[in-house]
Amino acid sequence: MTTTDDLSLAIADRVDSVLALAASPGFEHDHTCFAARESGLYRSGDGGVSWHYLYDSLKLTGPLTTTAVALSPEWQTDQRVFAGVDGGILRSTDGGKEWVIMNVATPPPLVSTVVVSPNFAADGIVIAGTLEDGVFRSADRGNSWQPWNFGLLDLCVLVLAISPDFIHDEMLFAGTETGLFRSTNGGRAWREVNFPAEHAPVVSLALSPASDTEAVVFVGTEEAGLFCSRDGGDSWQQLGSDTIKDTVSAIVVSPQFALCPELLVLSSSALLISQDSGESWSERQLDRDAELEMSMLLTPQGIGPDAPLLIGCSDGSVLRVS
Amino acid sequence: MPKALTRRVVFQPDAYQGIQKGINLMASIVRPTLGPSARTVAIERMSNKEAAELLDDGGTITRRIIQFGDRDADMGAMLVRHLLWRLQEQVGDGTATAATLFQAVYNQGLHYVVAGGNPMHLRRHLEHGAQLIVDQLDNLTLQVAGKAKLAQLAESICHEPALAGLLGEIFDIVGQHGHVDIRRGHGRELERHYVEGMFWESSLFSTHMFNDQLKLRADLQNAALLISDLEITDVHLLVPLLDMAMAAEIHTLVLLASELSERSIAFLLQASREPEKFQVVAVKTPGLGTLEQAEAMEDLVVLTGGRALLQAAGDSLSHVTVEDFGHARKIWADKSTFGVVAGKGNPRELRRHITSVRALLEHTEDEHVVTRLRQRVSKLMGGSATLLLAPSTEAENTVQEALARRTIAALRAALRNGVLLGSGRSLLACRSKLQQQLVASEDPDERAAYRILIKALEEPLRTIVGNAGYDPGTVMAEINDAAQGFGFDVRCGRVVDLAQAGIFDVAAAQKAAVYGAIAGAAHALTIDVLIHSKNPQYVAMT
Repeated sequence: MTTTDDLSLAIADRVDSVLALAASPGFEHDHTCFAARESGLYRSGDGGVSWHYLYDSLKLTGPLTTTAVALSPEWQTDQRVFAGVDGGILRSTDGGKEWVIMNVATPPPLVSTVVVSPNFAADGIVIAGTLEDGVFRSADRGNSWQPWNFGLLDLCVLVLAISPDFIHDEMLFAGTETGLFRSTNGGRAWREVNFPAEHAPVVSLALSPASDTEAVVFVGTEEAGLFCSRDGGDSWQQLGSDTIKDTVSAIVVSPQFALCPELLVLSSSALLISQDSGESWSERQLDRDAELEMSMLLTPQGIGPDAPLLIGCSDGSVLRVS
Repeated sequence: MPKALTRRVVFQPDAYQGIQKGINLMASIVRPTLGPSARTVAIERMSNKEAAELLDDGGTITRRIIQFGDRDADMGAMLVRHLLWRLQEQVGDGTATAATLFQAVYNQGLHYVVAGGNPMHLRRHLEHGAQLIVDQLDNLTLQVAGKAKLAQLAESICHEPALAGLLGEIFDIVGQHGHVDIRRGHGRELERHYVEGMFWESSLFSTHMFNDQLKLRADLQNAALLISDLEITDVHLLVPLLDMAMAAEIHTLVLLASELSERSIAFLLQASREPEKFQVVAVKTPGLGTLEQAEAMEDLVVLTGGRALLQAAGDSLSHVTVEDFGHARKIWADKSTFGVVAGKGNPRELRRHITSVRALLEHTEDEHVVTRLRQRVSKLMGGSATLLLAPSTEAENTVQEALARRTIAALRAALRNGVLLGSGRSLLACRSKLQQQLVASEDPDERAAYRILIKALEEPLRTIVGNAGYDPGTVMAEINDAAQGFGFDVRCGRVVDLAQAGIFDVAAAQKAAVYGAIAGAAHALTIDVLIHSKNPQYVAMT
């Protein structure tokens, strides 16, 4: 069943794109998810049916564009949320009621993406990508931030992806305006990946879950389609070249990719699914306005016939597909 | 004939004996320094007031030895000295391995030659064997990456865990081409810090241009940059320039010039009297000399996306357009340094530029030029690192700095050319190839060469084990029975998986040591007659 529910916004005239979505690790039970929009950050406690604005405590005089949102893997106990905004990073330790503005850098950066270490409880690592200043890294749960841009030759970072096996391989990928970079030391130094430069910008990234074999890297581009590398980035193969035509906004890999090589790809006009590692694709039909552009995808309970999907759209609505 | 030109000629067997004595003497001095349980060599200083110098690297030890009293032996010793010095200069490591191999090949080779073997044929086959070994080592080379592995490798070179740990981290971050400054720190422990972005030695034209007068520093955000080497003396040319910048909504402007008149400085200070609205500072064009200045401007153009105005090209301030300005998120200057962070140049251009500077680096041997190019690549790639030493005395500082430099050179070589399993294991692994060649050959000189090399390749391991106080014969038997990749770890006295234990040698150093030692010993075997001057000082002068 597919249902469409517009965000129940306090201010009706704020119709703006959903730029990022995040869900609680315990979504199955608490149904908590977040939507970052040009007008601010919103939270839902009922799996995306209803939403409420989270920046009231900041007493802002205007909308605060929120470009990224990430939750601590220890969400159930620490209720920690990081929001990337135009000017820096906000942190909440009570699920979004109160916020602290983190002093990231001068001049204030425009944060485009935030990722949290899967081993956050032990290492406290949070990494933020920015549109002009490269990457900032915090190793103390977001209290202090330092730029780490050794080898990052393009400081316009559009997307970051953290390895599911980060605790062991400390690997991250950064998609930028002109290419793809990899870090193997937890985001402190970067080396360019041999991704064809003519296919950039890289706007979405996904890594297959940790397994005995080398991680498969999936790269979504603005205009050139979807690519994957099975050798750590040395060689690339285009996937779905006849199906995936638009900007690849989001890629989701099955948590059991080695056994069940399932992929979901969101382009601006279609949600595509592959069950054979990207060899063949089919479009998942959605009950939506065909004119509506889709911008973000969230699979809080993984990929599966009954798993819920949340799709952020350019008009500010979030489609809830179940 | 003048007395100074008279010569003493030494024929066989004295020539062989003399050369052999010198080679054995020099090798024996360096052999105790091989391996992680290396011992040191004490060298008396020129001044009796200072304590003896304690050294553990073959290159430096041999450099301290100018001459031996026995003139025949001295000629042999200098052959080894020259090889070790060259190795230390080129790859920073492998000197003790080279000395050990040199000695083993020469001594065995001499037996064969004295027994009637042809030294010229033997030399040719030994050199061929050396190439076979280097080819085998190429096949065995592994790539090294990651802080932990680099630190392990560094420790196997410097035997200082604290220094190795920091250098492992530094090279994991700055990479093979990364620039590492070594400075004397003020603390009691080694430290490191990283400098983001590109910076040069340069300064503001006036201390009144610092916007932080306490720190004597100017920090400028979202600044435009006019890159030039112009001599600005006509203040009237500055007026339209600043008008144009303001019209283009530039609030912060940095002006690079090689000269700026007093009146121009005063004018710029006056223009910045309301810095919240508009601020302009002027910095001396970085770089010493025309070449360095041109390089700095070239890098700035790529980093910030501007255009350089060059005096030599007839440019002047009247030619400037808004498109000529470069831009950066942050520009800073203090009393002696000027830096740019997050320049807004084209990243694709930056990649191309780095590739071209790297290409220059690969084809340059001049140490000064290499250092300068490496600094440029490192800073263009995002920054550089500084290692702060913690010596208690000036003498200790010299020793620490030399050790750090040697380890850095070796780490760089390891990142560039890979590593080999250490503790002499990779050399042992080359024996099978030589054994195959031995079986296939019917030429007595060639067979002799392979036999000599097979035995010589055991010598570094035997020395490492012996230096650590173990019985080489017993350990060799254990290793011969061990699986591939396993070797003897003298630190724990057991056969271990060498890769897991992080026991590596720098591949470039091992290959250079092997080839240099075998070729050097083979050449030494062809020496038949020695000629000395009766007055060595005269010879040295001529």
